[in-house]
Amino acid sequence: MPAILPTRRQFLGTAAAGAAFAADMTVLNCLRSPVLAEELKRNDKRLIVLWLAGGASQLETFDPKPGRATGGPFRAIQTCLPGVQICELLPRLAERLKYTAVIRSLDTGNGDHGGASRLMHLGRRDEPSLKYPDLGAMIARELGRADSQVPDYVSFYTATEGRGNAVGQSGFLGARYNAMFLTEGNTPPNLRRLEEVTDLDHQERADLRRLLSERFARGRASGPLASHNEAYSRVRGLMASEKLFDISQEPQAIRDKYGPTLFGEQCLIARRLVEAGTPYVKVSRAWWDSHGQNFETHLELCSELDYVMSALLDDLHDRGLLKHTLVATLSEFGRTPQINASLGRDHFASAWSVTLSGCGIKRGSLYGKSDDDGNTVVEGKVGAAQVFATIFRALGIDHKKDYHVGSRPVPLTDPGTEPIKEVLA
Amino acid sequence: MRSLLGLLAVALLALLAIPAAGDELLPADRTVEEVIDHYIELKLQAAGVSPAPSADDANLLRRTMLDVVGRPPTVAEARAFVTDAGEGKRVALVDRLMASPAFIRQQVAEFDALLMRDTKASLRDYLTKAFGENRSWDRMFRDMIVGESDDPQQKGAIAFVRARAKDQDRLATDTSVLFFGVNVSCAKCHDHPLVDDWKQEHYYGMKSFFSRTFDVGEFVGEKDYGIVKYQTALGASHDARLMFLTGEVLSEPDAKEPDDNAKKEEKKQLEELKKKKEPPPSPTYSRRARLVEVALQPQSEPWFARAIVNHLFQRFFGRGLVMPVDQMHSGNTPSHPELLAWLARDMQSHNYDLKRMIRGMVLSRAYARSSRWESASPRPADDLFAAAIVRPLTPWQYGTSLKLAATNPDTLSGKLPAEQLEQRIQPLEAAGRSLAEKVEYPADGFQVSVDEALFLSNSEKAMQELLQGGDDSLLAKLTQFSDRREAIETAVWNVLGRGPAEEELQALDEFLARRHDNLPAAYKQMIWALLTSSECRFNY
Repeated sequence: MPAILPTRRQFLGTAAAGAAFAADMTVLNCLRSPVLAEELKRNDKRLIVLWLAGGASQLETFDPKPGRATGGPFRAIQTCLPGVQICELLPRLAERLKYTAVIRSLDTGNGDHGGASRLMHLGRRDEPSLKYPDLGAMIARELGRADSQVPDYVSFYTATEGRGNAVGQSGFLGARYNAMFLTEGNTPPNLRRLEEVTDLDHQERADLRRLLSERFARGRASGPLASHNEAYSRVRGLMASEKLFDISQEPQAIRDKYGPTLFGEQCLIARRLVEAGTPYVKVSRAWWDSHGQNFETHLELCSELDYVMSALLDDLHDRGLLKHTLVATLSEFGRTPQINASLGRDHFASAWSVTLSGCGIKRGSLYGKSDDDGNTVVEGKVGAAQVFATIFRALGIDHKKDYHVGSRPVPLTDPGTEPIKEVLA
Repeated sequence: MRSLLGLLAVALLALLAIPAAGDELLPADRTVEEVIDHYIELKLQAAGVSPAPSADDANLLRRTMLDVVGRPPTVAEARAFVTDAGEGKRVALVDRLMASPAFIRQQVAEFDALLMRDTKASLRDYLTKAFGENRSWDRMFRDMIVGESDDPQQKGAIAFVRARAKDQDRLATDTSVLFFGVNVSCAKCHDHPLVDDWKQEHYYGMKSFFSRTFDVGEFVGEKDYGIVKYQTALGASHDARLMFLTGEVLSEPDAKEPDDNAKKEEKKQLEELKKKKEPPPSPTYSRRARLVEVALQPQSEPWFARAIVNHLFQRFFGRGLVMPVDQMHSGNTPSHPELLAWLARDMQSHNYDLKRMIRGMVLSRAYARSSRWESASPRPADDLFAAAIVRPLTPWQYGTSLKLAATNPDTLSGKLPAEQLEQRIQPLEAAGRSLAEKVEYPADGFQVSVDEALFLSNSEKAMQELLQGGDDSLLAKLTQFSDRREAIETAVWNVLGRGPAEEELQALDEFLARRHDNLPAAYKQMIWALLTSSECRFNY
């Protein structure tokens, strides 16, 4: 059992689960802990990850190299930040960089889709004998409520390209933190009651189930047994959250802002979810893997990203949610500065970019620098772990906090990792 | 350095062998079950705890069948066992179950999950053959690490290595965890921070056994040369020595690194073989074979024997004698050191016969205890084995349980000859496996996922597989009764393998009474509530 040290979850969760299984003294430790107050405060923090699957080009997005041999055909345009330019394919985001920190100095050392994707989901390398939780599971664990009536980890990946690389693993945190993983359409499976079961039957049979199970659990309290009843106790609440996935409930004006694409609709759902309390939503957009026709690919995908992400930032801002919600653009890697014979760019992990916007971020900041052609990082080199630590800190989570797997302490990010303080508010 | 390691090895062996002297243990001619109960009850007495009474017949039958043949009893089997007044019925049951083909299927499922979970391969065919002839565990270990001698096309046990050959760290770690009960991977980047026994040199020593292994096409091969280099935390670079967990450094034939031309030639040759779908040539000297040899030497055998005993103990009792099962080192004392030592010795002296060990475990009193703690005192710690530990079912056990429970008991009548019953149950097992796709495989700290609950609550598939009213369904059977209580009685027997308690009878009857205008629909909901109840989800 990964006995996980004091968290607010146990503080809130044990009572809520109503389970007889409470022989966990860490609950008491938690009350004494000075971090508790802080943990309670960050209750309303959220994270939305826009996952640019396949590897978006930093040159056609946030780190353009106009006029260089590697620069490609697109211009760089001035943003709302003095002296900062990004690619002309992102005109709307250029006006919104005031919400954002751009990090131009990732050197992650892995140019293979599978491995790099794991690295950017786990924040560290795999270890043969320990199954690490991914970012979503850790955020769900840190920011979700044990008895949550909304899903606490939702992941969209509708395309088929690269879906095998889309890591979703709760690892040693346990199946409680599994993703609600949507691969078809915008509605999660099994959230809707079958027509042949009336609502009354659905409710009453659940009551009957609980009654039988509680009788069985007498004198047999255990963690796994409690988790069984907890899973069923969340069913009705999650079913009620189905409406969050229904964008027809949004005014047409709002829907128009996000646009009619699947990515746009899913980002709108992401906003609905975080508004309702879901701490982590990942929306994946594939397939950025432009080995051929890099510029056409980016013309299409960047235009959509620009439109949709701008709508998302505006909408979150207008609703006062942006100060509690962090929006990150992440990828497995960037793309080579060299343009290949098929007018494509290949995998490139030595100098690429990510962005963080909103909650906890020093807005309008720029961190790190690649050389004139974009081949290497010349300033502020960072890896996946530092990006993760920065995300955790922006959300008020101590990135050095330990989980315990058996007797082994496992911190949220690898030991010695420091966040990028320059981009934190 | 060498002498220091020598000392370490001696110290390790001393610790490992606790208690070292064989004559301190119960004599070797006792039965496994006797010895388990002797040591467990000794510790209970010392702790002043009186254990829970034995589980009742219906409970014990369900537990034993789930463990030994991977499914719960049919109603006919349950009723027959409960009414059987014979003295030796439990022993007869275990022997009958262990002689059935379902025992082999259950062994295959359990070991395939243990050995191959999280890989993309399966050992199913090999394990079916091996358990079919009750192959010994040391032989199976050799088959899996070195390959079977009659398997040049590498279709069999060598899949254990092949599935991991792209990642030598994983191959070394998984082998150490599964066959020796130790996880040295924390010693990869530095000496193990928590376990004094394990130095970086152990990790790279273990890795060295696999460092010459490679995969090519559908085959694995092994080179005659190659050493592992590693860096210490202080940055010093070392060549790893071939070292077993005991600290023993093995001498081996000199291996000369070929020059670049020879390597190119070798690569070309391998590519050609790959094209022809032929396996690479065997090495003249195999480090993997050396591992098997050294692991089965008398002085290092405790690692191997203790690990399998501990895995089996965890499987049948809900926790190992050492927990976690991959942390069998000197700093992590077994709950019952003498018992572990005796069982390991018994394994060795009985030709690593898994069947003998399993039979002893499930015939012990400790195995048969009730899981319910009814005494006023708080429930004792699990490692006293004072009451049985409630264990989540594996996906295939749960799937099969659900399918069986939803089946019309008349189709699985006690009058059927064993073979026919078997023929009817096998398709239910197959359907159960597919039904249980959403079910997580149990591990330490297991939690039921909400996906499972949503699937069983709202999916078309679960509805079709479990609650459609065809003639073969429990639902069809229930609608034949005119008396509600009879229907309840039948449903509870069918799903839970026991009769309903008065309390349950009342609650279910109240539910049905409210729905008397549409009883078939109400029966459906009642069956659903029973199928999804915790009792059906766990082995208790």
